[in-house]
Amino acid sequence: MNRLVTVAEMTLRELLRRRGVLLLLLLMPLTFYLIRRDAYLGQSVRSLLLGVGWAVSTAALFATTAARELEPRLRLAGYRPHHLYLGRMLGLWTVGLVISVPFFLLPMIDGADLRYGGLAAALLCSVAVAAPFGMLIGALLPRELEGTLLLLTVVTVQMLIDPAGSGARLTPFWSSREIATWTVDNTDQGYLSRGLLHGIVVTALLALGVAAVASVRLRRRRHLRHLPVG
Amino acid sequence: MNADDWLRTLTAELHQRRVAADAARHVVAEAATHLREGGGDPWVVFGPPQQYAGAVVESIGTAPGPRPGPVRLHAAGITKRYGRRTVLRDATLTVRAGQIAAVVGANGCGKSTFLRICAGLMSPDAGEVTVSGRLGYCPQSGGTADFLLADEHFVLIGAGQGVARGPARRAGRAAARQLGWEAGGDVQARHLSGGTRQKLNLTMSTLSAPDVLLLDEPYQGFDQGTYVNFWDQLSRLRDAGTAIVVVTHLLNQLDRVDIVLDLTPAHETGWHAPGIQGGRP
Repeated sequence: MNRLVTVAEMTLRELLRRRGVLLLLLLMPLTFYLIRRDAYLGQSVRSLLLGVGWAVSTAALFATTAARELEPRLRLAGYRPHHLYLGRMLGLWTVGLVISVPFFLLPMIDGADLRYGGLAAALLCSVAVAAPFGMLIGALLPRELEGTLLLLTVVTVQMLIDPAGSGARLTPFWSSREIATWTVDNTDQGYLSRGLLHGIVVTALLALGVAAVASVRLRRRRHLRHLPVG
Repeated sequence: MNADDWLRTLTAELHQRRVAADAARHVVAEAATHLREGGGDPWVVFGPPQQYAGAVVESIGTAPGPRPGPVRLHAAGITKRYGRRTVLRDATLTVRAGQIAAVVGANGCGKSTFLRICAGLMSPDAGEVTVSGRLGYCPQSGGTADFLLADEHFVLIGAGQGVARGPARRAGRAAARQLGWEAGGDVQARHLSGGTRQKLNLTMSTLSAPDVLLLDEPYQGFDQGTYVNFWDQLSRLRDAGTAIVVVTHLLNQLDRVDIVLDLTPAHETGWHAPGIQGGRP
């Protein structure tokens, strides 16, 4: 447990020291919200949620890429793969929750009439999905540029795809969009339950994907035999 | 270099060359007395400290080193290919507790690959490695976190071994001091100079008290003083029973090691089947 917490803490410390990144993390969802402000409120809130998701995914992608060279030596120092990826995920979720707070308050200050419980749930879903999503891309694509381009593609698809179509359910942030509809448009409970279920399933699948990639990359190699000190 | 520095370097050289402690003290005291009474620049009176230490060793010999202990690392028949290119063919190395092995060879001959295979960070196409005890690894570069402080690196490594924060920090600072570096500041790793960053890298690899220590040219960016401290520290670790493998291209240090593994391919040297070569007698 101590190892897990230490990795989470160091991830948090690293991200908090990147002041420029933090500023951009806050700026991105804010821009998304403001750019749609004159239009329909639902669009504005959906854009905000997508911005939060994108910002946290990007932070996760960069944190994963930056840790690539450090992790093998941490493995030699006594960490097991799950300490490393779960610790990092915990740290990223914490950062995501922290940056979500002002975006929970923003529509409130803006005087938006919506279900704030739903907004909280949608933000939680965005952050929950975004951390393992960015980590998985970072684990699969070792270069930041490729990873960023893939993230950009996914978010663009998410933004442009018809949410009612069946293909939309395959996009990672569909959950927060569904919950946002319930939040803003006062639709039936089905939107909320579908969204929550989607969020939980996608988070679990992405976390499993991260676990699988990390376990392969940081596995104990078969050619190496460890004997106790004789 | 003033007389004190010269005497300090001479002391380190004599220690490095395993001159018996009493004899080394006697030699240094005699040289100090001579300089104090006769005056003059030690470089003119005695010459470079390394050369003088060499002359002392020739004259009075060295103390027998501790007998090498049990085998700590055995790499046998290591072969590695990248596509059609074979970078390692049947490389073999055995290192015992209390020995230093140097892995040498031309650029691109697979020195770092060999070390990464020994560390279990990469799989070979053939061959196996047996390690007794805990493994420490210091990469050529990287391996640190840009936005963390040195103390936080020590805490991170310490937590892997179940060491509490305070003791991990203290152990890290003490190990860094052996390299002439006071590590307790609030400078992030990205702001450290290249040489200091390598000191952090090296300190991290020794922090878990490994039984087998694998070092991939860890002295990049070191100044002369740190470089001397580095070899002193390796000697101390060797004397404490650590088995050390160091990748190096600095052939002038080979008299300080026990084993040399030359990975230069046969077609470049006319010599085949890399294996154990004699190093320090």
